[in-house]
Amino acid sequence: MKNADKTDKTNPAGAHPNGRNGAGARRIEPASSRFYGVSLPGVKEEELTGSLIVIEGTDGSGRSTQIALLTEWLESEGFAVQTTGLRRSSLVADDIDTLMAENSITRLTLALMYSTDFFDQLERRILPALRSGLVVLADRYIFTLIARAAVRGIGRDYLHGIYEMALRPDLTFWLNVQPEVAFDREFKKSHSISYWESGRDMSLSNDLFQSFIRYQSLIKKEFEYLSRRHNFCELDGEGKVSAVNRELRKRIAAHLGIKGTHYTPSPALASLWH
Amino acid sequence: MAEITPTDSLTVVDKLPEKARVARREYPGALIVVEGIDGSGKSTQLYLLKRWLEIGGYRIHFTEWNSSPLVKSATRRGKQRRLLTPVTFSLLHAADFADRCERQILPLLQGGYLVLADRYIYTAFARDVARGCSPHWLRNLYRFAPVPDITFYFRAPLEVAVDRIMAGRPKLKYYEAGMDLGISLDRAESFRIFQERILNQYDQMVPTDKFVLMDGTIQVNRLQRQMREIVGERINLAQYAPKK
Repeated sequence: MKNADKTDKTNPAGAHPNGRNGAGARRIEPASSRFYGVSLPGVKEEELTGSLIVIEGTDGSGRSTQIALLTEWLESEGFAVQTTGLRRSSLVADDIDTLMAENSITRLTLALMYSTDFFDQLERRILPALRSGLVVLADRYIFTLIARAAVRGIGRDYLHGIYEMALRPDLTFWLNVQPEVAFDREFKKSHSISYWESGRDMSLSNDLFQSFIRYQSLIKKEFEYLSRRHNFCELDGEGKVSAVNRELRKRIAAHLGIKGTHYTPSPALASLWH
Repeated sequence: MAEITPTDSLTVVDKLPEKARVARREYPGALIVVEGIDGSGKSTQLYLLKRWLEIGGYRIHFTEWNSSPLVKSATRRGKQRRLLTPVTFSLLHAADFADRCERQILPLLQGGYLVLADRYIYTAFARDVARGCSPHWLRNLYRFAPVPDITFYFRAPLEVAVDRIMAGRPKLKYYEAGMDLGISLDRAESFRIFQERILNQYDQMVPTDKFVLMDGTIQVNRLQRQMREIVGERINLAQYAPKK
């Protein structure tokens, strides 16, 4: 399905909408290029006519629910959507699963495997979609990868150096929730807490709950820093699904030039709404 | 894929602050590295150096580029199915090296070993820049690597090196020949051009990375004598000798 491109993208390099993001956020980085630093070899920025919209937030912050709803809404508005997320590359996703299960990998190797996974998806999924004018909804992006590695002691400037070839999102949303709320939601959903999401490799506590809370608090602190540095649009992830969704749609509509939109989920997704 | 031409060299773009580099002597071990294009004779020479040290009973460890079992399956799949781009090729090799570095090279240097490396980070710098990656990005990517005590650069003229390879190994692999760059449809021709680019990158690193230049065209045993003399001068071998 090809969308009728409603957005005015005569100047994609200047289309970065940081100015519209959360009030009072301090902009540190320049908005002159679609890449943070040097662009990827062989990429022509002017060809990238689609939009990259990133939803960040810890497990249990409601990311996947919101992405399902946004996908339906955008498609109903006539936009073709490509979703992407971490550890979904055809190149190394399975290897990362194996390595994490084996538990013998060092933090640096794991961070580099994740960056391989990220760039594989950037080059093979995200960029082709943007060249075709699609809206790419990213279920997490480099910020999670940077935060996870940074709390494990890998230098922030080293990480920023690796990801300087990443594409700068048009909009980055951060669904912010307290670690305790994330714990409740995750436990309700899967009746267990994952080894890595509770940072058990970091020996923070033998107590699983304490380990989870401490780890997520460290991640949250990194995100507060990243949010200022990269001008995230921070949303209260503890709010109602419908309220968070309304806020997301409002900002995405403004970016894509969608006017007078109205959305209620189809019966298939209605259960997510409440 | 369209041809990617290397735009800038390693020497001018490397502006990393000095403190970002791993301190040279924070460990009792020593690191000896050989670099050079395929067919330059580096592996033969490192093998002979290794035999010399082994026979003498020195505490040594030999390590090769691209050999971490952890990352092997990903690398193999990526190469077989030709999934790799210059960036993912580079990152996967960095992950492989990181694993070897953190689990082998660094602990052994800290444990007082003489570590011999057949290819090191300069292989990535030369090859990945030849593929079109940014030199500055690469220097950052590998900055966790300890700086070698000696880096021997075996240099042979392009034609000599290529002839040596082509004589013994007629079937060149896809990435090895740089076929992903779309330089030429002829594998042998692509290999030659790719090796030439790599050679140019190596040459530029001679002054900046303090390479010890070795003439890959002279007789094997004479070259080995030179190599052993340089090792003897620069490394306190007694430190790695068998304990009495």
